[in-house]
Amino acid sequence: MPINIGDRKLSTLYSNWERTAQPLGKDQALEILAQVGDGSRWNAASLLTELKKPGVSPEKQIAMAQAGMTAGEKKDIATILDQGKVPLDATARSFLEKVIGRASTPTPPTPPTPPTPPPAATGLSVTGNQAQGLSGVTRAGATIEAINITTAPGGRLHMDDTMVVGKADASGQFSLAKLTGEQQMREGDLVRMRARYADGTTSDWVTVKASGIEAKDSRNAVVALFRIGISDVGGGKVSVDNINASRQVSEPGAKLQFTNNRTGEKALVTITETGGFPAGFTLNGKAGDSFSIAASDGVNNTTFAQATGNVTVPGGAASTTDLIPDPALHKDELDAAGKPKFSTVNFTGPLFIDAARPEDVQQGQLGNCYFPAAMAAIAKHNPDAIANLIKDNGDGTYTVTFKQKDWATGKFKEVPVKVDGDLYARSYGGALYGHSSNSSDPKKMELWFPLVEKAYAQWKGSYNTIGNGGHVSDVFQDCMGVDASSMSLASNGERAWEQIVKTVDAKKPLGAGTFGEDQEAKYTNTGVYANHAYTIMGYEKSGTDRFVVLRNPWGESEPAGNGANDGIFKLKLEDFTKLYQSMYFQT
Amino acid sequence: MAKPPEPIEDVIPQATWVVDAEVLEVLATGPQPPKVEAKPGATSTGQKTASQTVKLKVTRVLHGEKVAELVVEKPEAGYALRAGNHGPFLIDSTKTILGRYGPDSYSFERIEKALAAKR
Repeated sequence: MPINIGDRKLSTLYSNWERTAQPLGKDQALEILAQVGDGSRWNAASLLTELKKPGVSPEKQIAMAQAGMTAGEKKDIATILDQGKVPLDATARSFLEKVIGRASTPTPPTPPTPPTPPPAATGLSVTGNQAQGLSGVTRAGATIEAINITTAPGGRLHMDDTMVVGKADASGQFSLAKLTGEQQMREGDLVRMRARYADGTTSDWVTVKASGIEAKDSRNAVVALFRIGISDVGGGKVSVDNINASRQVSEPGAKLQFTNNRTGEKALVTITETGGFPAGFTLNGKAGDSFSIAASDGVNNTTFAQATGNVTVPGGAASTTDLIPDPALHKDELDAAGKPKFSTVNFTGPLFIDAARPEDVQQGQLGNCYFPAAMAAIAKHNPDAIANLIKDNGDGTYTVTFKQKDWATGKFKEVPVKVDGDLYARSYGGALYGHSSNSSDPKKMELWFPLVEKAYAQWKGSYNTIGNGGHVSDVFQDCMGVDASSMSLASNGERAWEQIVKTVDAKKPLGAGTFGEDQEAKYTNTGVYANHAYTIMGYEKSGTDRFVVLRNPWGESEPAGNGANDGIFKLKLEDFTKLYQSMYFQT
Repeated sequence: MAKPPEPIEDVIPQATWVVDAEVLEVLATGPQPPKVEAKPGATSTGQKTASQTVKLKVTRVLHGEKVAELVVEKPEAGYALRAGNHGPFLIDSTKTILGRYGPDSYSFERIEKALAAKR
């Protein structure tokens, strides 16, 4: 649990130190002073410069900081001193205590260093808890590799797709080793680690249950619904397996409860050490049945009250009782206590007004640009595929039939998902996530796109599951049951043009993605956005110039000089290949 | 990030200044946020860029106290600034730039409409 620092900039600064976990010294204490001491005379950057000027005594530094410090900022420093998890060296601690007028506390004697346990027979042993990261003993100079196998099922990682988190010193000890990004350790997470020695060989795997990080374990086991293969094997049984056995369905030891939505029968299964199902695992059911799945890591959701999502047995008539609950909100739309900030409104507008058109598609407040960009591409180049994708059941429900590739046979199987018209909405009107351009009125808004997105969220797990990035080509596969591919555009202008012409002329969908990491600055003021997916609407030629016509799935925001601000614009091929990193297309 | 900008109705109430300005200088850059693990070519991964402290030359104040220059912070976000970048900047009371894409978040036309509605 991060400590509660009220000053936003100071909080950001401290969070960065938590990530690096290096002990804080006098320099960092001055940075804290600069953040709390900024005011009418100085901003934080200029105050830091003043504080660091040669000849400025500690007393002067303290006085400068105190001049701009508010009561709240004083409290923030006290919080850092009393609750901060990043070690403060004695000088920095004493200095900060003086800043807030607190008598300096004597530095407690350093406890004797416990004898170093020898590496276990595995070649790697972990010591202590994980409050400051992973620590332990292995061979001198070995690098430490780790993967968070609690979070890994949500991505595309194999169980041995580790990242290097640290290195053992000359005595074989390592400490403060941390996983970052989506893999950042939280209380109760399972972390799989090993040491890689100088000769390239490795220790045995060791799995650690992270402790000492937060007051309680509040992250439940993640379930990759999209890896669950379920099929009718006759005799009233359906088999359940991991369709991508090299990646996890969930964390080892997690329990999954399957509830047959037709019969109400429940069955429990424990995830194996490799993150999959026990061989031969079956459930009572038949083609067309849908199963609600709830997971527990043994600490969270132990009553299985909260469902993760649903899987449906392909084939058979769709059950009349398989209406799927609304998918959960993205984590950004939950408050600090994990409660939803938004509620649903029943939308009753027409499914289609005048067939599916790319202009219908408007991305909502969700990081899933790849999805609306792909849906607009399908609507542009193959609108019949949209008409085949979603059906109005005439009773306020709709069935969206996705296609799931069976990697063993290469064939696609149908995955029907039944949803109603309830969509998360803003208090002042309009759908929160994907919506349509014609109206925000719940009685008038065209529904095909928001309902397909809702069904996709439910199939994959939640709006959170689909709202943290993805690939346009995966959506072509999932919605059309076709093979799709992507290509890098680097130095591939001619090849890209040929592919665009070929795909557009064949009336197949295609899209493009911009660069992300480290290249964001080149997009500012261009009208094109970094780390973003676009629909390729077509191509144009004018003399020797060749243009790619694109659409921003926001339905607005485009380079200047492209007419109405509807998100549709064209770029010269040369500019397209400079600004875009990848192209995605139906093969 | 590749999420659309936040609805302007949610952002305008937080703006102490709304100015037409140009970035004169990037004064400081914060540490790089952690790299988001993602399959190559994935978009909307949520990767953020480092925070920046920048000096703005203000050419027009649409809302707030008259100023000629402002030193403001660009938070960790899905965009980055460099000298010469320009456009409408919405800035809060802590001198932090609002809007998911800074000066590319909203057009002047949309901002002026939102300000008029607020009045």
